[in-house]
Order: sequence, then structure tokens, then C-alpha cells
Amino acid sequence: MAETDLSDERGLTEEQKLFRESISDWGERNLPLERVIEMNREGHPFPEDIIQGLADLGVIMGPVPEEHGGMGLSWKDQSIIAEQIGYIDPSIATAAGFMAVETGWGFTINRYCNEEIREKYIKPAIRGEKFVGIATTEPKGGSDVAGFESTAEKDGDEWVLNGEKTFISGVEECQKIGGGYWVNVRTGPKIDEAPHKNMTAFFVPIDTDGLEPQEPYDDAGRGSLSTSGFVMNDVRVPEKYMLGEQGKGFYYTMEGFDNARIMIGASAVGVTRRILEEAADYIKERETFGRPLAKYEAIQFPFVERYTEMEASKLMVRKTAEMQDVRYDETGWGEKTGDPKTYKPTEIAKWISMIKYKVPHLAKDTADDAMHWLGAAGYSSEYVFETAWRGVMSYCVGAEGGANIQKIVIGRETLGKDYVPYK
Amino acid sequence: MKFVVLVKQVPDTNEVEVDEETGTIIREGVPSVLNAFDEFALNVAVDLKEKIDKEVEIIALSMGPPQAEEALNKCLAIGADRAILLTDKIFAGADTWATAVTLGRALKKIGEVDLIFAGQEASDGNTAQVGPEVAAHQGISQLTYVTEIEDFDPEVGEIICRKEIDEGHLMVKGDMPLLLACMPRPDFEPKIPNIREIMKAKKKRKETWSYEDLGGDEEDYGLEGSESVVIKTYSPPPKGEGIKIDEEPERAVEKLLRFLDEEGIL
Repeated sequence: MAETDLSDERGLTEEQKLFRESISDWGERNLPLERVIEMNREGHPFPEDIIQGLADLGVIMGPVPEEHGGMGLSWKDQSIIAEQIGYIDPSIATAAGFMAVETGWGFTINRYCNEEIREKYIKPAIRGEKFVGIATTEPKGGSDVAGFESTAEKDGDEWVLNGEKTFISGVEECQKIGGGYWVNVRTGPKIDEAPHKNMTAFFVPIDTDGLEPQEPYDDAGRGSLSTSGFVMNDVRVPEKYMLGEQGKGFYYTMEGFDNARIMIGASAVGVTRRILEEAADYIKERETFGRPLAKYEAIQFPFVERYTEMEASKLMVRKTAEMQDVRYDETGWGEKTGDPKTYKPTEIAKWISMIKYKVPHLAKDTADDAMHWLGAAGYSSEYVFETAWRGVMSYCVGAEGGANIQKIVIGRETLGKDYVPYK
Repeated sequence: MKFVVLVKQVPDTNEVEVDEETGTIIREGVPSVLNAFDEFALNVAVDLKEKIDKEVEIIALSMGPPQAEEALNKCLAIGADRAILLTDKIFAGADTWATAVTLGRALKKIGEVDLIFAGQEASDGNTAQVGPEVAAHQGISQLTYVTEIEDFDPEVGEIICRKEIDEGHLMVKGDMPLLLACMPRPDFEPKIPNIREIMKAKKKRKETWSYEDLGGDEEDYGLEGSESVVIKTYSPPPKGEGIKIDEEPERAVEKLLRFLDEEGIL
């Protein structure tokens, strides 16, 4: 742990303070920075003990209701958890990646799945015994969520799926411990003026006949969380494995993205804080030309700028998580959150897009700065900055939605639909 | 059965700053944590509860300012079933004896207690007196420097503990009711409460007791009830680097003897 402490617990509940303390203690014991760096260098080392450890710690899918095996945590609670997981895992891969994917998508699967899927996949995933994720990107596009080509045709009480999914997180790990994916397919003709229609979501177990996992990509970062894909050749899933209603997959997918993006935004706040703390230790100690690096304005000023942005981002993430709690306040009248439904889902999506666009970039830029501050030392794997930089870049270029897509959502909600660039 | 664990919230720092006028520790702006010795004592109590086939209630008992509730919340998450905070301006400024008297009165109010667990000392004051004084106040036996419970027979009321001493360790038998002052083992890793346990702790019973609840004479408590007065608190000056003789044994002994001779020590 760094000597410098930039945490600020004011405004947190007693429980949230304890969440942070437990996650820090667990990280110090099980996932010190040296291990994060080492595992990211190894390439898909399958951190089984970490996945199990995260589950034992109770950080996966906290907002899933208690009766479904979760804890019924608020999204605010879960965002505080995600922030601290990002702090202990600045690669957003070894621990934070699994937590974010499974929490965002597992929670949403649970909202639309039947009891069988819940018992066989969701509850075991919360216990760390299985993995659940999302498969939406296809070779012809990812950001264009509705532009996919995979299809499903009904055959009796089964659906037959065909197509290919690519750049999917965790396929290799899912093969090893079992589990399955949320898969989007078209269950009717593609309507050019409304391509999101006829999109239907299914839950597909990884070991289903006809599902052929592909070789993992050799990514720049996120070494301990695999990225690959799978081909579906006449993959048969029962009708009851459809998530929600036929043709509504696009809306559910957007909801899933919203949840996963909150997790990524929150994790990236933690990553930024860890980078700043580790860098502060170094620049206060290391001297050049008779002065500590921290006394040079060329280093101190960007440092405080990043710190200020980090604090601002933290407030944005927490506000956004609170908005999501209002969205899921099923009483509709603020009985749980004290706030009646004052936000439209699109308005919440705007805030989610703002944090997804802003915070991973902040983390990446802070890691970039830290490498400059430390020079050759910062560029080496002695320090976590290059691991963080390579890992966080994944969430800038595309994982859980690329930056430009977020900007389109923000623009649409601020300037109006008439100004959407692609129409 | 009833176990009570005495806990204290302490400043999370080794560099404690002291108010020169009052001689008391400055707590403002310093984060606080559960005293590590007490955390160990609680872990010992929780482990023991898990091992025995008997219903046990573990009560975490603390005296301190209202914010000491944070330490008790952690105790509930680790495995205590109930928490009691003794807080009142009348209790403020207590030395170890007045603290033991206050804790002792609370123990009387709790009722029959089978085992009292305490940390060997607190990391702020390091007196190692409160545990033994509580035992004296209660008129019960005590075992200090306990690192492990080797055997426990709740039916007979007998407990065998491993007690550290300078020369090694002793196995000591005690009869309940008994106070155990616990000393963390070097390999001790405290239990990390998970999110589920933290949320469950929120629903556990928490009480705050004041002077009104404990009763007795006001002058028995706090600064007035204290037998000792802090005249001055200071950090001893560092010992310096010393002299290191890094040689083969024969040559090292030769050098050492010469040094002792030159210094007039021999």
C-alpha cells in the first residue's frame, strides 16, 4: 500500500466504510500490486482463487435481491465496492474486470431470466462457481449494437441460433469453470429504419452443442481476463432460456450496459486514486537537481489537476449510482430511495455515458502522466502504471461501449434527437 | 454462555501526537481503527464460539467517544452478536483504573459472564493494565499473554491456554469465570468480514450506555475517578544506529572485546 492516502471517507455510511476496509485488507493479503502486474504479464493465467475470493468477499452481483442469492445492495453501495476493487486492481482485469462484467450483466440477466437459469447459473456465479457474461459484439461491429447478424429460428419449443460473436470477455474462464452468456440474436427480419427491432436476448450455456469458442486474442492489456469469441452453429436452446420478451433484447441490452458502465466508471475512480497515491510516494521521495520531483511545477500541477478530476469523477459516479437506485426503486414513488422517479431512463443513461466516457480516460491519462513523472522507472513493470495504462485502455477503446458512442448519447440528451450525428 | 470482548478504538498511527497542556492524545484529523490486540481477542472468541457445541452470545464492550461506534460496527461484522458503547462526558479522561471501574460496572449490568476477552494492551497507551484491572474489579482470575486456546470444556468450565513467556510458552489451565488478555501470534491473520457479514451486522443489537445506565458515584468515573495523573507525555529519543560488527566470529569477538575494553566497560 502506498504511504500517501488520498481516500476520503466522508459521506459514506458505516457499512460502506467497512466495505472499503475489507476489500483493502483482502487485496493486501491476496492481490498485492506485484501479483496484479505478474498475472497481467502471464497472459490468461486463470485467477481461479481470485474469482473465488471475490465471491467469498461478496462483491459479485451485490444488487441482486436476497431471495435470488444476492444481497439487495444499492447501486451506490456496489459503486463504492467497485471503486475499491479498482483501487486494488488497477488493471481492471484480475479482479475488477470479473466483478464489473458479472455484476453489470449478471444482475440484468437475473431480472429477465427464469428460475432454472437463476438456480443453475446466477446463484453459482454469485458463489464464484460459475461465470456469466455478455456476447453482443460481432465481427461486423460492436458499437452498432443493433447492426448484428446472428439469428435464431424457432423449432418446436427450442430456438436454433446461428452466427458469430467476437471480442467477448471471459470466454476462456467461462469454459474452465462453466457458466454462460447473454447472446443477442435476430428473431425476425431486419428492419432497416429500425434495426433494433426483432432483437431478442437468450441465455446460452457455454457448453451447449454447436457453440465453438475461438482462440483468445493477444491483447495489449487485461492479461488476466481473456478476450475471445465463439461461433454458433445450430446452437439449440430451450424457449425458456429466452431473456424477457421476444423482440425486446435491445432495451434489455442497453439496461445491461448501463449497469456494467457504472461498475467500470466506479472502478476507474479507484484506479486513478491508486495511481496518484503510488506516484505521490515516488515523486515526494525521488530527488533530481537537489529537490524532490514533487516540488517541480511541471509535475505537481498535472498531479493536482488529475487529483481534482478524480474527486469530481467520484462525485459524478456516486450521483449516477444514486440515479440508478431511483430507477430500480420498484415502488415507483421513492419509498426505498426517498426520491420519486424524477429521471427518465434516457437521462440516467446520459449520466452513465458521461462517467463511462470520462473516468476510464482519466485513469488512462493519469497512468500516462505517472509514467512521465517517474521516467524509466514508471515505464518498467516495477511499477503498476504501465499495467494500469494497458488495462484501462481497453475501456477507452471499447469494452462496455466505446468513448464516441458515449458522446453520441450525451449529445442526444443535451442537444436533442435532431442533432444525432449518424441520422 | 456469554463471552464479553473488551475493545478500544485507537488512532491509526504510530506517531501519536499529544496535547502538551492536557497530556491527552490528539484525536482530531487522525483516522481511528479497532485496536489490533482487541481484534485478535475478538477473533479468539469468535473461533472458540464456532468450535463449541453450545449457544454463545458474544458481546463487544467499549468505552469511548461516540465515534467509537465505528470500532463496534467492525466487531459486529467480524462475529460479535451484540455491541455496547459506554459513552458519557463523565467517563472522559479516565486512567486505566477508572476505565476498569467503568467497564466493570457495565459487566455487572450485563449479568453473568463466562469468559472476558481483552487485548493484552492498546496500541495508543500500551499500559497492558486495563484487562488485569477489570479482572481484579470483578474478583475473577485472569490469564495474560494468551496466544491460543488449546482446550475448552464448557460443561466443566475449564479452559487451557497457551501463554507466551520470555523463555518460551506455558500451557495454563483456568476456571471460569475468567479473563483472558490476548496477545496476537506472529502468524495471526485477522478475519476479514465480507460484504454479507457487514450488512448482517447492521441488523444486530447495538446499545449506548451512559452514566445514568451504570449508576454509582460520579467521582468514581473519568478524570475524577482516576488514581494516576499524567505529568508529561513524550516520545523517547531514538536510540541511534549503534555499532555493527560484521566479521567472522573469532575476529568479531576480538573486535568486540577491544571495543568494550576501550570504552572502559570491561
